[in-house]
Amino acid sequence: MKIFASVFAFLVIASFAQADVLKINGSTTVNLPAAEGAEILRAEKKMDIQVDTQGGSSGGISALGDGQVQVGMSSKPVSDDDRAKYPNVKFNPVHIGEDAVAMIVSKDVWDRGVKALTKQQIQDLYESKIKNWNEVGGPDERVVFFNKEPGRGTWEVFAHWAYGDPKKAPQVSLPEVGGNEETRNKVGSTRGAISQLSSSWADGKKVFALGIKTESGEVLQPTPDNIATHKYPMSRPLFLITNGEPQGEAKVFVDFMLSPQGQELVKKHGYLALDQLKTTAP
Amino acid sequence: MLPLATRGRAPSLTKSASFAFSALALLTLATLVLIFLVQSLPVWRQEGLGYITGTKWFYRANIFGALPMIYGTIVVAFIALLLAAPIGIGAAVFTSEFLPQRMRLAVKITIELLAGVPSVVYGLLGILFLRNWIYDLFARFEPLSGDTLLTAGVLLGVMILPTVMTLADDALRGVPADQRRAARSLGLNATETVLGVALPQAKRGLIAALLLGLGRALGETIAVFLVVGRQDNNLPENIFSVHAWLEAGQTLSTKLGGSETNIAYGGSLHWAAMVGLALILMAMVLAVTMAGAWQRRTNDAASL
Amino acid sequence: MRRVSNFLFPALGGLCTLLACAVFLGLVFVIAQRGLPAMSWTFITEQIRQVGAEGGIFYNLVGTLILITAALLVSAPVAVGLALTHTVYLRNAAAKSRLGLFLYTLNGIPSIVFGIFGLIVFVNYFGWGKSWLTGGILLAIMILPTVTVALIERIKALPAKYVEAATGLGLRRSQVIWSVILPQSWGGLVTGSLLGLARAAGETAPIMFTATIFAGATLPHGIRESPVLSLPYHIFILAQDSFDPAVGAKLWGSALVLLALVFALSIVALPFRLRLHDEAHG
Repeated sequence: MKIFASVFAFLVIASFAQADVLKINGSTTVNLPAAEGAEILRAEKKMDIQVDTQGGSSGGISALGDGQVQVGMSSKPVSDDDRAKYPNVKFNPVHIGEDAVAMIVSKDVWDRGVKALTKQQIQDLYESKIKNWNEVGGPDERVVFFNKEPGRGTWEVFAHWAYGDPKKAPQVSLPEVGGNEETRNKVGSTRGAISQLSSSWADGKKVFALGIKTESGEVLQPTPDNIATHKYPMSRPLFLITNGEPQGEAKVFVDFMLSPQGQELVKKHGYLALDQLKTTAP
Repeated sequence: MLPLATRGRAPSLTKSASFAFSALALLTLATLVLIFLVQSLPVWRQEGLGYITGTKWFYRANIFGALPMIYGTIVVAFIALLLAAPIGIGAAVFTSEFLPQRMRLAVKITIELLAGVPSVVYGLLGILFLRNWIYDLFARFEPLSGDTLLTAGVLLGVMILPTVMTLADDALRGVPADQRRAARSLGLNATETVLGVALPQAKRGLIAALLLGLGRALGETIAVFLVVGRQDNNLPENIFSVHAWLEAGQTLSTKLGGSETNIAYGGSLHWAAMVGLALILMAMVLAVTMAGAWQRRTNDAASL
Repeated sequence: MRRVSNFLFPALGGLCTLLACAVFLGLVFVIAQRGLPAMSWTFITEQIRQVGAEGGIFYNLVGTLILITAALLVSAPVAVGLALTHTVYLRNAAAKSRLGLFLYTLNGIPSIVFGIFGLIVFVNYFGWGKSWLTGGILLAIMILPTVTVALIERIKALPAKYVEAATGLGLRRSQVIWSVILPQSWGGLVTGSLLGLARAAGETAPIMFTATIFAGATLPHGIRESPVLSLPYHIFILAQDSFDPAVGAKLWGSALVLLALVFALSIVALPFRLRLHDEAHG
């Protein structure tokens, strides 16, 4: 009985003693280099860092806004709506790398002729106005569009590009996929499938990244060059966001991710590091 | 039940503690229901009955209709029952009526272990095997992908099989042995005894077994989440065609287990709508569970 | 005709039984086959590295053990209280059946509902953020019916003569409870707890919003903001979000470990449970 009481008392007291835990939450895209960075810092500097990916980029921003975490991870910029929702929070996004969203298709679609699409065609596919791949030069197969679930930065980047504003995107009812692995898995195993995916995940074996055909007929592939110069339209910045200037443990972490070692991690996971982005990029 | 009586003293510490803990448990359940009712109030006020009958759910446009998800929940559970009922009851009948003791034990152990397999493991097997099998098996019906209501239903069927089987076995064991002996002495063979005596006598318990299995199927989240497709607003034109089952869908539980829960949290209408889904789900499961409990009670007086 | 049906009927039943057993064996075989390559001493004693691609699942296992221990400690006293109330203190048959109805109801509630309840009450209203204790409490509520019913059945199966003898010796009711009833029916509590914990160990839905994160937690420090890692959540996330085929074996290895844990708990409870079953049905 006494032991129970003292253990309980210890826990209660410990719960008030705010251990210096650095909490990070957000995008599964940014998570890859960030989680590895956290591992290194945990091992080398004995820091206490918790990383989670609840709710994707939106979850990261709202967790930061609600004060539940010190660092939010996001693969999309902080929107005006977010700033309006949390007027007391000074969202300070720190750019740590660049990635791109590609439209990926399954092998049968790629092999049978569809290697690039125009924005209009992609819109029509999304809105289920084009139902068969033969309407865009592909095989006689039904179009299966797997849509990224709400909250994912990938979706917001897609909607931003395709419709100018995620809010202007038409309401659609498509099968949903969540994480990158699930997307690649399901697109790869379904005939006639297309979805939005981080370009670094398009392995060219299971799923294939389409080029974007511009009005002038130019085909923009999501190559590192095109992404760096922002020629490829769906490039997106990877952010670590803090409330105001990063301080304390958060500063250590952010500085680490900006350091050469951290930037190597960014590159390692298939994204572009900051030094690869041309300075002439807008 | 136990031959104990107090002697008119003040309630002992044990009694007070027991009552306190019991009250705590009851209060927790009551609080749960109350919180859900209160937090979902905005959506009931806003949409009224249209919330349940509405066929479109577009949270970004503040349109909330739960019917496609109610439909999904029912279809998936129905398919599960369609599979688990005959196989579960058939297996239960076989093991309790025809198998010798030793083998019966082996089967019982297997089923007990099967019952313990976590739903995330089922989900894993579903995402990597079952959905491809269904996709290939039904290719001529041209499903959109391997993520269908049928896939989820089959997976669920396997998940509730142990429940149905164990409870059916209980029901059959509840039929007194002398009933069977009487039938045999009248010249009925083993099959006729089962069909003519044991099964009818166990009918209530068997129905209870199915209802409880159904209750479990209605509430399952994780396994269904990974293979059902999570497509909103996909009500078929003809719910009785094969194609209807080969469509991707969404259930109440998969919507709750998805990303919208984190997005919606707060005082908004969206959050009220999400809580409302939980309320509807609870009501459905409760109705089925109550029916199962009712069946069981009138069957076996010695039970709870 | 009778002879044919006398053969056909059990044959069909036998087929069903075979099918059920085959599913079980197939399931175990697949998981073992894919998970065994990942099994090693380091797998269990190391922690995750590189978002699951490297390292082991030590803290996931620890986290799950913490959760089920907490569930045990919270549910046991409540179960005893409920069981005693039902078998000893309540005289009225109607009240007893209402209590039974309560347990039935509680047992049927979907686990995701508990997750949402926990999100509202513990994560936000109490302000605990994600906490291992929330997970333990929610799991305890979930397994309460299982534990309670097992204990009740055991108490009811006690030979009346024990109680009669004790009362005859002049013991008060509470003394009879503590010196005769509870010690003799302790096995029921153990059985019920083991069965309940087997279920709790594998649950994802109650803990994914309330108690667990993917990476970064080791041992909890206090109650607030102290999530743990867990096996089922780990598997759930990796099934959707892993980034490397190398993760594949680890994923199955985690599933194998979880399965082994659940089976171990079930197997230990098995002899008691089967005996209880037989006693209840003759």
